[in-house]
Order: sequence, then structure tokens, then C-alpha cells
Amino acid sequence: MDRILRDKKAIFIFVAPALTLFIVVLVIPIFQMIFYSFCNYAALTPPEFIGWANYKKLFTNDQTFRIALKNSIFFMIFSAVTQQVIGLFLAVLLTNIKRGRNLFKNIIYLPCVLSSAALGLLWAFLFNPKIGINALLAKFGVRGPLWLMDSKGFIPLPMWVIAFVALWQYVGQNMMLYMAQITGISKELYEASYVDGANKRQSFRYITMPLVRPMVITSLSLNCIGSLKFFDLVYNMTQGGPNHRTEVLATELYAEGFNYFKYGYASAISVVLLIMCLAVTLIIRKAIKVETYES
Amino acid sequence: MSTIQNSNTAAAGTAAADHKKPVRPGTVIIYLFLVFMAVIYLAPLVWIVLVSLKDNAGVNTDPFGWPGVLHFENYVQAFTMGKLGYAILNSLLVCGVTLVVSLFLGCMASFAIARMKWKLSEFINTFFMIGLMVPVHCILIPLFVRFAHLGLTNSRFGLMIPYITFSLSTVIFLMVNFFRSMPGEIFEAAAIDGCSIYRIFFTIAVPLSRTGLFVAGIMTFVGNWNELLMAMVFISDPMKKTLPVTLTYFVGPYATNYVQMFAAIVIAIAPTITVYCMFSNQIVDGLTAGAVKG
Repeated sequence: MDRILRDKKAIFIFVAPALTLFIVVLVIPIFQMIFYSFCNYAALTPPEFIGWANYKKLFTNDQTFRIALKNSIFFMIFSAVTQQVIGLFLAVLLTNIKRGRNLFKNIIYLPCVLSSAALGLLWAFLFNPKIGINALLAKFGVRGPLWLMDSKGFIPLPMWVIAFVALWQYVGQNMMLYMAQITGISKELYEASYVDGANKRQSFRYITMPLVRPMVITSLSLNCIGSLKFFDLVYNMTQGGPNHRTEVLATELYAEGFNYFKYGYASAISVVLLIMCLAVTLIIRKAIKVETYES
Repeated sequence: MSTIQNSNTAAAGTAAADHKKPVRPGTVIIYLFLVFMAVIYLAPLVWIVLVSLKDNAGVNTDPFGWPGVLHFENYVQAFTMGKLGYAILNSLLVCGVTLVVSLFLGCMASFAIARMKWKLSEFINTFFMIGLMVPVHCILIPLFVRFAHLGLTNSRFGLMIPYITFSLSTVIFLMVNFFRSMPGEIFEAAAIDGCSIYRIFFTIAVPLSRTGLFVAGIMTFVGNWNELLMAMVFISDPMKKTLPVTLTYFVGPYATNYVQMFAAIVIAIAPTITVYCMFSNQIVDGLTAGAVKG
């Protein structure tokens, strides 16, 4: 029996197709991308090695990249904080009610499975300076802000709007993850704590909080990587405008690579993005210590 | 399922005869808040449908009102002028093939990783997880250059290749957990009875993992159905574009044909909503099951 489960040939047949595809389409291109990032490479000429010049230009001489980096970091921090807190709050709320839990859960999760390209169009319309929300405000005599056309401030208003739309769309994801974790906690723990005279707040603080901690790693990592590579909503709501004020790393990469065909330069942006994703994952794993509890 | 339920059972213990538990103000506030949340989530979706049935003048004067005359021709125009019919067929084709191929390849690999005995299984498993951490954007340029050389850009087949690859990570992530949660005795018993490994896989493992495959399938399908960036980069022929890309034609400060845009949005998200309503519990539970075990 062991012989059958150790059959080398069968293992090879099972794993090889997926592995080959993975190496050819994902791993090799990553190294190629790193190589391109050190090259002067426009679409029509072959790549020419120029050392660190792309990176130097990125960090010293590129206003748009700086805006994109700033916006992406803002977006990541905003999403991480709001989505984690609100997601956990909703999860605790929903695990505490009996009736309609599935209904509310499914409603809040719904936008996560919808196309953000389509939802982006909807919100872009609602936050149009003339129609949409401002038309409604005008009826009450209030002159609404320019929303997506506003370009003032360190973090311009459109960026906040996009961040809130993303919060609306994706908070269900975190809520779901936390709900799964909380429903997995043994009820006896809570009962024991009530016998010992704990109130609800205490049981949340000393039972729920420590026990959902492993999920914080998963949820926060997904959250941060997701917001760093965020593209669809920004592209369909502002396309990086007005005047590049809402550019994020992904839209900047797309513009440099496929509007201006600066492959080498865009590759340098991809490297920055990749390093940020890996760094964030590592930091989260190191920073959040998980103690294992025997259940 | 935690606190209130527990305190309720405790309360029931003390006041045993009390059938009708008094509705506490806290519960009312929670439900009011949840209804408020539900409105925030559902109102925009209902409103899209309302706007899609108006005419452009009506949208400009009174975007939030009830449509007077129902303009179903918006949908017809969105289909013909926005080429949505082709877009839907393209999306179905690309996502469908990706679904089948990635489930098949991913399921085989997961079975070998989770159930067969070899030294590198853990390493290979971690290796496949790279796909969940690396953003698609990072391989976009090298892949595009390579595909341009091979003549795979501007082809639906070319788009399927990166889709399959990135779906593999998700499928393997979910299926490895799923296979590991199965009792191993079934496979061992079959092996003792002299069943070949291929028969074990096709006649025992695959049929038993239908729930897992369903979840993995839904996840990859939804993900690829909504994918925008790769589809935008790889395909330039309007007849071959997928649904999300076609939708971007309606964007921009000068796009004024709002009713058609909204009809297009409805057409784009209606299938997803239908599938979601049919299987929401399985989808939601399955998605989290995968994440929790990992």
C-alpha cells in the first residue's frame, strides 16, 4: 500500500503539468521583470542594461511615482485599519444575533463577488460633480464638493472617496473570516467565563480577542496585499486623474508600461510593488505573535 | 453564536417558565443597525436597475426618482452598441475553459501534495502559494513581451494561460486543505485492495471532493469573471474583449450616455448576483473554510 502512495512516476504525472505552467508563466517572468527593471527598454528596441538608473529616477525625479506611492500607502493603511476594525465589529455583532444572521452576512458579503469594474462605474456616476449625490444635495440648497474632480490636499478628496468605496465593497471579506473564526470558538469557554462571573465585555477581551488572533494574520495580509495591488476601482472611477492626483502604484505601472511603453521603467515600479507586498506579509507574520491554545 | 446566546441560555435557566423572552433594547439597536447596513448595501444595486430603465434626460434632471416610462430599449442598445453580447460570450469562454483546466490540474497536484508520500510535498505546496502573494502586475510586462513574440497576445487562448496559472494557486490552496481533511483510511484501504493510484484518484478522491471542487470552482470563476487588468493588457481586438474591459468604454469624463452604461452594469453583475443568490451559503462557507484551515 505504501508503495502505491510513494509511486514516483504517479507523483510526477500529477504535479508536473501544474508545476511547469507555474514556473513558465509565473516564476521565470518574475526574474525577467527584475532584469528588465535594470534596463532601458522601450517596446521596440531590445533591452539595454543601465544599472540602477530606473530606480534613481523613480525615487528622485518622478513626481507622479511619489504621488502613486503615497496614495498606495495611504490606501493600504486606511483599508487595513478600517476594514479590520469594522469587519471584526460586524462579525461580533452577527455572531451575537440568532435570527437573520445568514441573511445579513450574505448581503454584506455580496459586493465582494461583484465586478469592481462595474461597481466603479456606479460610484463614479454617484460622485460626479454635477449629477448623482450633488444633484440630491442641490435640492436641499447645499453645494456639494467636487468629489472625484477635487485635487487639493495631501490626500485629495477622490482618494478618500475611493477608499470608502473599497471599504464598502470589501469589508465583507474580513467580516466573513472573523465570523468563521469566532463561530469556531468553543461555547464552553464562554460558559465557563460566565460561571466565573465575567461580563460580556470581559469575555470579549479575554476570550474572543486572543482566539481570533491567528485570523488577524490571514485577514490583514490579504487586506494589505489586496490594497497594494488595487487597480479596478481607481481605473474606473478616476483613471488616476485629476492631474495624476489619484494615481496608485498599479495604475502608474499600467500607464508607464502600456500607455508610454516604457517597459524597463514600469518593471522597476513592479519590483517596488513586489518588495512592498513581500515586506508587508513578512512584517505582519513577525509582528503578530500567535500563541496556540489547546482546544 | 457566542455571547448573547449563552447568556440567554443562562437566563432561561433561572427563569425557566418564561416562554417569551423580553426583547431587550440592545437587540433592537443591533437589528436597526443591521437593517441600516443592509440598506447601504442593497440600495445602490436597486438604484442601478432603476436608472437603467430611464432615459438620459430623466437621469440628468432627477437621477433618484422612480422611472416614469420604462425604457427597456436601453438594454438592447447596450447589447448592440456596447458589444456586450460578444463580451459575455468571450468572458464565458475564457472563464469556462480556465475553470475546467485549472480545476483539473490543480486537483491532481493537490492530491499528490496532500495524500501521497514524498519528501518535497511541503516545499512544492509552499511554492504554489507564491501565486497568492505575488501581484499579477509584477509579471505583466515580461509575460506580455513573451506572448507578443509567440503571437499569443490578442487571443483568448493567450489570456487563459495566465488566468489558469493564477487560479492554480487558489485551487491548490483550497484542495490541499480539503484532501487533508478527508479520512486517509479510504485511500489506504483502496491501495491495499490493489487499486492503482490513478483509479484511486479518479474514482475515489475526485467524487469525494465535489464540495471542495465546487468552492474552488466558484472562487476561480468569480475571480476571473471580474478580472480587468490582464484582460485589458492582453486583448486589443474589440470583438475578443471580456466583459469588465468592455465596461471601461463607458468610463470617462465625457461619457454621457448614462442609461446605457447602467444597463451594461446590470447586465454585467446580474449573472453573478443570480449565482450568488442560489448558492450564497455554500459560497460563503466554502470561501472561509479554505481560509480558516490555511
